[in-house]
Amino acid sequence: MCGIAGRILGKVGDVGTDLVELMDAQAHRGSDSTGFAIYGIPRESGFIVRAMGFERAKLGQDLDDFHYILKEHGADFLENPTWDNSGDKHYSVRMVISEPGDLARWTREADTICHRLEVQSVGKSLEIIKDDGDARTVAEKHGVRGMIGTHGLGHARLATESAVRPNASHPFWARPFADVAIVHNGQITDYYNWRQRLERQGYRFLTQNDSELIAVWVSDQMSKGMTLQEALDHSIKQIDGVFTYMIADTNGIGFAKDRFAIKPLATVQQDGAFCAATEEQALRRVYPGRAKIINYDGPAKTGIWGRGELAA
Amino acid sequence: MSSRYVIEVGNRHIKDVNEEIQAAAKAHHSLLVRNTLSRHNLGIGLPKGVDVAFEGSVGYYCGGLNTGAIVTVEDDAGWGTGEGMDAGHITIGGYAGMSAGAAMRGGTIHVRGDAGPRIGVAMKGGNIIVEGKIGSQAGFMAHAGKIIALGGAGASCADALWQGEVWVAGEIESLGVDAVVKEPTAEQVAEVDAILEPLGLVDSARNWRRIVSGQRLWYFESRDANAWLMI
Repeated sequence: MCGIAGRILGKVGDVGTDLVELMDAQAHRGSDSTGFAIYGIPRESGFIVRAMGFERAKLGQDLDDFHYILKEHGADFLENPTWDNSGDKHYSVRMVISEPGDLARWTREADTICHRLEVQSVGKSLEIIKDDGDARTVAEKHGVRGMIGTHGLGHARLATESAVRPNASHPFWARPFADVAIVHNGQITDYYNWRQRLERQGYRFLTQNDSELIAVWVSDQMSKGMTLQEALDHSIKQIDGVFTYMIADTNGIGFAKDRFAIKPLATVQQDGAFCAATEEQALRRVYPGRAKIINYDGPAKTGIWGRGELAA
Repeated sequence: MSSRYVIEVGNRHIKDVNEEIQAAAKAHHSLLVRNTLSRHNLGIGLPKGVDVAFEGSVGYYCGGLNTGAIVTVEDDAGWGTGEGMDAGHITIGGYAGMSAGAAMRGGTIHVRGDAGPRIGVAMKGGNIIVEGKIGSQAGFMAHAGKIIALGGAGASCADALWQGEVWVAGEIESLGVDAVVKEPTAEQVAEVDAILEPLGLVDSARNWRRIVSGQRLWYFESRDANAWLMI
């Protein structure tokens, strides 16, 4: 059991605060770890990179090696990296970089040091923040409430098939596609079959989390020319398991729900904004008054909520 | 004479709210629960003789394990409404989420709107009336009782049904495994009308489909269970 949430605002606003509330209301669904994908104000040039290092004592060396690879691909830091000052062994770092010549090739190269410093998101506006603990713990540690933007995703994890590690938390970046992230509630039962197939195609998996498969699987479909909607539709025919997942890009949020319809999803669209969550009671944190809730309880459903389609 | 007792939910701990409901039910015949915020587990194990109205929408399992109370939800209800109830009457003003009436043994659930998938899953008695459409796999493995849909039914209707019955007046997307449609007798229709009559929902013009088990899956296609004993 996990909890997921999505939020789209009509204009730039406190999306971080809303997502923290949505995930705090669903903390009982899993507080092993919590994560957020925040789409802030898009940069005109360069990428924001969020990464996690696993040995704080080696932070300097990790960043030096990361910087070296970056320069090998014709890019550089545009701002000095910043990181959290907690006493944890692992650390989260935020970097702003100029654009590598080939994002996919650079990502593959950067992933050669993922055992020390794991890239967790790359985007013009996307920033993925995730860590061990419940929503309040993670939000306070990483200042999520202060993050503004247009939309985003949230996830509360109850670990089942893989270990509790900060990097095994959601959301997952659909590497190497900039600004694409997923959150997932469920189990993928043909995980190893799909993983082996995708690894034979050259994809790299950084965790044992079955949810990472969805991110890689969707990115693979998109690399073959599918639109996001086509990939969502295809996923419920191809991927076996019980799941509801949401995937976001700069334009909005899509979702897919499997044929068995075991994992809930409730939504509300009101006042030019949109909200989705595993549980309706979480939506009430954002809409405490009267709100028209739509439950997607039925099987085999997909859809996209676009930022530009929200009627005021 | 007892007056209507008002209980506020808000951000209170649900255990505290339910304790207040149980205590108030001993002294008052009628309770109004307000500011529900779609919270879960409201009104679990309510006793006979009390009328509890929930303002707005409720979350999961509202009215579960009911032993005779009259429960009204103004708007929508989340998953598992009335799960395991033995007696009483639950009315949902809007939509009922997945698995309403799961494993219920008696009493009545009345949904004024549509209902989600697997309504009445494994129910062992009682009746569920849905004025709108019932979702997929309605009555999945229902052992007894009736699910009556005045609207249509989703896919795999009455999947793996046992001795329960699913009655559908509207379109059925598809039947589930081992589900068959039987022409209801006048006596059987009269039984259903008797269930609908107190709700003011009788309409003689309905074209009922009565769905029951084909019994092909019973005892693995054999009526003699001994034939399947391993030792």
